[in-house]
Amino acid sequence: MTFTVQFLIDVLSLGGAYALMALGLVIVYGILKLVNFAYGELIMVAGYAMFLMGGSGLPWLVMAGVAVIMAVIAGIATDYVAFRPVRAKSVTAVLITSFAFSTLLQNAALLFISPRPRPVPLPDIFSQTVTIFGAITPVRNLITIVAAIVLLALFAWLMRRTVLGIAMRAAATNFTMARMLGVPANLIITSAFAISGFLAGVVGLLWIGRIGTVVPGIGLEPLLVAFIATVIGGMRSMTGAVIGGFLLALIDTTLNYTLSQELLKFRDAFTFSLVILILLWRPDGLIKGPASGQRT
Amino acid sequence: MLEVNDLEVRYGAIRAVRGVSLKADTGELVAILGANGAGKSSTLMCIAGALKAAGGSIRLDGQDVTSANPEKMVRAGVATVPETRDVFPDLTVTENLTLGSYTRRSDRAGVTEDRERMLALFPRLAERAAQPAGTLSGGEQQMLVIARAMMSRPKVLLLDEPSLGLAPVIVDQIFEMIRTLKQSGLTIVLVEQNARKALSVADRAYVMRLGKIAASGTAAEIGAATDLSALYLGG
Amino acid sequence: MKRHLLTVAILGGLIVLLVLVNQWLGIRLYDRIATNLCISLVLVLGLQVFMGNSGILSFAHMGFMGVGAYTSAVLTIPAQMKGMALPDLYPFLQAVQVSPYLAIAAGGIVAALVAAALSYPLMRLSDAAAVITSFALLVVLYTVMTHWSQVTNGPRTLFGLPKATDLPLAAGVAILALIAALVFKESRTGRLLRASRDDETAAAALGAHIPSLRWRAFILAALFAGVGGALWGHFITSFSPKAFYLKETFLILSMLVIGGANTVTGAIVGTFIVTIAYESLRGFEGVLNEAKIMSNPVIGLTEIVLALAMIAVLALRPGGLFPTREIGALFGRKKTRQENAG
Repeated sequence: MTFTVQFLIDVLSLGGAYALMALGLVIVYGILKLVNFAYGELIMVAGYAMFLMGGSGLPWLVMAGVAVIMAVIAGIATDYVAFRPVRAKSVTAVLITSFAFSTLLQNAALLFISPRPRPVPLPDIFSQTVTIFGAITPVRNLITIVAAIVLLALFAWLMRRTVLGIAMRAAATNFTMARMLGVPANLIITSAFAISGFLAGVVGLLWIGRIGTVVPGIGLEPLLVAFIATVIGGMRSMTGAVIGGFLLALIDTTLNYTLSQELLKFRDAFTFSLVILILLWRPDGLIKGPASGQRT
Repeated sequence: MLEVNDLEVRYGAIRAVRGVSLKADTGELVAILGANGAGKSSTLMCIAGALKAAGGSIRLDGQDVTSANPEKMVRAGVATVPETRDVFPDLTVTENLTLGSYTRRSDRAGVTEDRERMLALFPRLAERAAQPAGTLSGGEQQMLVIARAMMSRPKVLLLDEPSLGLAPVIVDQIFEMIRTLKQSGLTIVLVEQNARKALSVADRAYVMRLGKIAASGTAAEIGAATDLSALYLGG
Repeated sequence: MKRHLLTVAILGGLIVLLVLVNQWLGIRLYDRIATNLCISLVLVLGLQVFMGNSGILSFAHMGFMGVGAYTSAVLTIPAQMKGMALPDLYPFLQAVQVSPYLAIAAGGIVAALVAAALSYPLMRLSDAAAVITSFALLVVLYTVMTHWSQVTNGPRTLFGLPKATDLPLAAGVAILALIAALVFKESRTGRLLRASRDDETAAAALGAHIPSLRWRAFILAALFAGVGGALWGHFITSFSPKAFYLKETFLILSMLVIGGANTVTGAIVGTFIVTIAYESLRGFEGVLNEAKIMSNPVIGLTEIVLALAMIAVLALRPGGLFPTREIGALFGRKKTRQENAG
């Protein structure tokens, strides 16, 4: 019983974080077919925003709010710096500019802050533990689970119940047709990047809460996680991205519990080989995305 | 209402539309006929703002709207039904209709009222209101895209090949619907290969060949003066 | 044909000129920069062979550079040093010690073989799937290099490679790479591949089997990367897996993109420009550090400038400095025009 609860909490909290990461990547990919390599740096931005506000004495929730807003701004900046100037030129060009923007942000952190880890203020509750059915669990894992549930519900509501959300889903299948109904392209694109930044910001707080420090390269792991989860979940399906996130957490946690230390080092090699195999089998990802608007 | 002058459309080096002029008065139904590749759809898509004009001008109510982007054209009162019959397959019928009213989304009461009106006009769609649009038949999808276009309360409706690939019974229904829309005072530009059908509802018609207007006149004149089967062959 | 020879002559001449100027100046620092430039040329030309002809972005290139570097290292580190440099090495490799020149060639061949074995199924993917798989391949290669301590010494620095690479050798290999890249570009495979880049369906209709065309280009690219990696290993003599990851990918990619990925000329000019800019900026960072203008050491400025340059080039001149024509063709055209005028 204790073990089951422990395992379940581990999978759900890791999966919640992974699902949010994947969702932030896929919302931009679904609409623009742009793999945003600068996605991990949005998490980095949230982290450094927290560090810079560290000594300010503001309440933690205010700092967290500002950090998320900074991530949203960085997300929108991705649109203006990396995407708009080369939009419609070629897929490769957009990939390269987003990669360049990622390098730009990382090195800006190196130059203006420091290559060394910097502490991030965290509320006491992040380091406390509770006992549930005999399993000792950090409270931050429970916070992650709750945050994931709330954000996923909010996201689902936005996409299903608001006109903007419906328009974004429509743009993901057929951008031109959406425009021919009067949906402004720029609004949709900016919204996608803003939502991506919002998810990255929140997930960044939760993610950095595990380590307590931020470094310029902190975004790489979340980016890789988001890649794997979206590939598992289907690159154009938002539901798929969420399922992919939880599946990946299940795989990771299981490997952590079962693999020997010697093999555990190669975990990334295993999961990325899995990614390659899945893409070979199904280039659009494991779970089928929305249809591409073909005539029936 | 709509006035097109000397329009040119290019795809790279290819000139698909070469100096086309046409006009549609308020409440008029104008048909553009011609064979495959005559430049009909390119003309229509250029008016809709989906293609850039390489030359010439498009005026709506005397305002210059040449090379406006598609979303601006919708706001100006021009709704388009492309021949690819693009429903959003994952969205429900209702959601598709909601998107059609995107430009006037703040007018909630009006939108709801229009949606009810459309569902009353197309009972088939009302039955399937909560289904994903991708599960509809071809004819139902065609009805949906026309209804969706009407949700923006357009002044001008651009219809591209509404009969394409549909069974004759369905085609009759679609044209019945077009006639209803025309009676409501809407200005319609209809691109069709099915010339006989198109002329049966049109006030005037233009015949296009190789990117140019080859003939124009009232529907009766065109029907009498032109060998309709030749249109299909591009003769 | 004549314009291709002209291209080789001009670009090869540029490399020879680099060697001569360097010999004449005789400054050690410039020797290092020039040699690194020539090694970068081999790597960038390799990336050009795949990316320029197929139009697909590959992140895996640096992984194959690592394969070449480690292969050559295992083959050349003197037997008596292996106990220290590679304590976990498999016994059958402990006594192996071959000439560095042989080992550099072996580095290229092993990289090409690894690429051939891993990549065939990946070649039918396009767009985002192709990019993510190549990225995944880089992560896999990097993870293996970081943890396969039997042959790589794990994440720690591997040292003890004999110094065998000097400027004439690197320049010679770069010239060979230049010729090979041009020959491949004008070969039947290269031409079909370029046709597929512009229109996949049309090229397939011509009877081109696109995955196998891409595969050939990918193997050749990996060969270049492996040779480049081995050359670099024997120049720097100690390195760790970190040298074959994203930071270096960015640098090589910036050279190719700024110069123009579609042409060999672009690859070479881009490498020259970016290397010069890179070294000047690094020097500038050094000056700033000496002057202690900022409280922290200045790092990252170089990358920021390069990233901005890359975005600017892609926005203003998407094809890079040499988007379509090789320099030989450009000169040839000018000459014909002058003759016509005269």
